[in-house]
Amino acid sequence: MKIAVLIKQVPDPNALRFDPRLGDLVPGIQPVANEYDLYALEAALRLREQTGGEVVVASAGPARDALNRGLAMGADRAVAIEGEGLPGDSWVTATVLTAWLRREQPDVIWCGQETSDSGTGNVGPTVAARLDIPLVSNVVGWEFRDGVFEIEREIEDGHQFQEVAPPVVLCALSALPQPRLPTLRGIMDARKKPVERLAPADLGLDPGSLTPLVRWEGLRQPAAKSAGIVLQDVPPDEAVEQLLAFLEACGLLG
Amino acid sequence: MAGNGVLVVIETSGGQPRPAALELCGAAQAVQEALGSATALVVGQGIGAATEQAARLGVARVLAVDAPEFAEPVAERVARAVLVAWEQLDPALVLLPGTTLGRDVAALVAARRGVPHLVDVVALGVTADELMVTRPVYQSKLLTTVRASRTRAAVVTVRAGSFRPPEPGEPVPIERLPVELQEPDRRVRVTRMVDKPRGQVDLESAPVVVVGGRGVGGPEGFEQLAELAELLGGALGCTRAVSDLGWRPHYEQIGQTGKQVRPKLYLGVGVSGAVQHTVGMQGSETVVVINRDSNAPLVKQADFAVIADWNEIVPRLIARLRERRGRSA
Ligand SMILES: Cc1cc2nc3c(=O)[nH]c(=O)nc-3n(C[C@H](O)[C@H](O)[C@H](O)COP(=O)(O)OP(=O)(O)OC[C@H]3O[C@@H](n4cnc5c(N)ncnc54)[C@H](O)[C@@H]3O)c2cc1C
Repeated sequence: MKIAVLIKQVPDPNALRFDPRLGDLVPGIQPVANEYDLYALEAALRLREQTGGEVVVASAGPARDALNRGLAMGADRAVAIEGEGLPGDSWVTATVLTAWLRREQPDVIWCGQETSDSGTGNVGPTVAARLDIPLVSNVVGWEFRDGVFEIEREIEDGHQFQEVAPPVVLCALSALPQPRLPTLRGIMDARKKPVERLAPADLGLDPGSLTPLVRWEGLRQPAAKSAGIVLQDVPPDEAVEQLLAFLEACGLLG
Repeated sequence: MAGNGVLVVIETSGGQPRPAALELCGAAQAVQEALGSATALVVGQGIGAATEQAARLGVARVLAVDAPEFAEPVAERVARAVLVAWEQLDPALVLLPGTTLGRDVAALVAARRGVPHLVDVVALGVTADELMVTRPVYQSKLLTTVRASRTRAAVVTVRAGSFRPPEPGEPVPIERLPVELQEPDRRVRVTRMVDKPRGQVDLESAPVVVVGGRGVGGPEGFEQLAELAELLGGALGCTRAVSDLGWRPHYEQIGQTGKQVRPKLYLGVGVSGAVQHTVGMQGSETVVVINRDSNAPLVKQADFAVIADWNEIVPRLIARLRERRGRSA
């Protein structure tokens, strides 16, 4: 089975800082692989362990570190699609990835449910629609038996189980098994694995097809909350009375 | 300029409209002067009550897609219904709720039509030549404005709680919309559903949400929190740490990979306030926190924080609330 995993590199969400003067993130935040994408990769590696075949990690936009991590975790090869304006908006990202996926014809495409930066969650579904293959999102569990997936999904009403046969796009949530850590051996091996570098033109895409549909306009902070009341070292009975008085004053006690 | 009017997709669950979907009628009202009147598309099975409700929410028309194939939420099928309605109406804007289904459907429909999907929107505006939305990014830590040209139609998903449903008025007539599924729409099949139990206060619409974190220490502590929630007229939620430990079911989890809540009162007990959790409760009106650690991030977001072991506070609070209830009964 050929399994493709779509990976994006994002600013480290744990190191995220905003500069109000720049109206942007502080420069130089370490880029890391988007967390959900690593859960997707882990699922892909487990699927390969079951069925054999290969796992290819791919990214539209700069993602060398993330792709290297993917190889060190056990992917067989990587594809870096880079070019001016990439990754672009989710439409452009999906256009580039769709063109590459048409060429590769994988049986299964795993991706993260969304990214921690723009977080549109559009890329997986858009790729599925444009390849005209089924989409299963919010995946928290899966089994592959007799050529069919049974997928467990987390949705508002509980857990939904769906059956679908490849080719399919699967979008991973982090309730799936934890991504493995790269071993030293894995990191050594990764250096010998093939990394293909492509430009959109290599995929037959002309610049006109890479025009974003939407435009982002800077970043800002949500209105800050004023500091609240903090009771520390207050005897419990008194703390409870004060809490009740507060709730009462807010009209929260019916 | 592309299309005219607003198509509002009313998602249903078990025949009932999702609250987040009814709020879309409020969003449609906010832009109908610029874009034209709204049509509600109600999709599901046994949706009579939902269509009647939608018919009173300021829309000009209601289209009902009511068939067994739509009983279960499957994105490709609902997307087909939206595409059929699109053919009929040629709308300038399509609104869907920012639910798991709504977001999939929106992305599929937008891709098939070659138009943008603007995601998880909290505010919506229209200028002469652009659609302009506000949305949270970076896991809701920051906001941005996204613009899309009005030369194309656009699909927008709206974050729950961003608009109010209009006051119900006189109903408009309800028309049936026949939708024939195509072969590809049947590639995904729902085999079963592990439901959340019914009859409890719905977490997402509860006015009060009591949330327990790992600091509660075990499933027993949650029995007290459940009673506290009941006394406050609310629902019980938990953090991912708690559902991963199996102390509470996953469907009670709040946050990035769980539910989004916007109650009047959020009461967090033994919850640290990791960003993956707080993205799910940021819209709460009043935040009260009980935590042993004054440095817990959630304490900084609190309107009222008690720094103490919850075992000292919660039993006393329950006793006092029971007393009050006894008095008023
Ligand atoms: C991709 C991803 C997605 C995630 N999605 C979610 C999500 O949807 N929802 C979610 O909740 N989390 C999510 N998480 C996990 C999140 O990062 C945190 O790990 C989790 O929210 C922590 O839960 P907690 O606050 O219960 O536990 P902890 O962080 O362990 O906090 C426990 C708190 O309890 C306090 N405490 C301990 N004992 C007591 C006591 N006796 N009395 C009072 N206070 C006490 C401690 O001071 C501490 O602040 C996600 C993580 C990742 C990586």
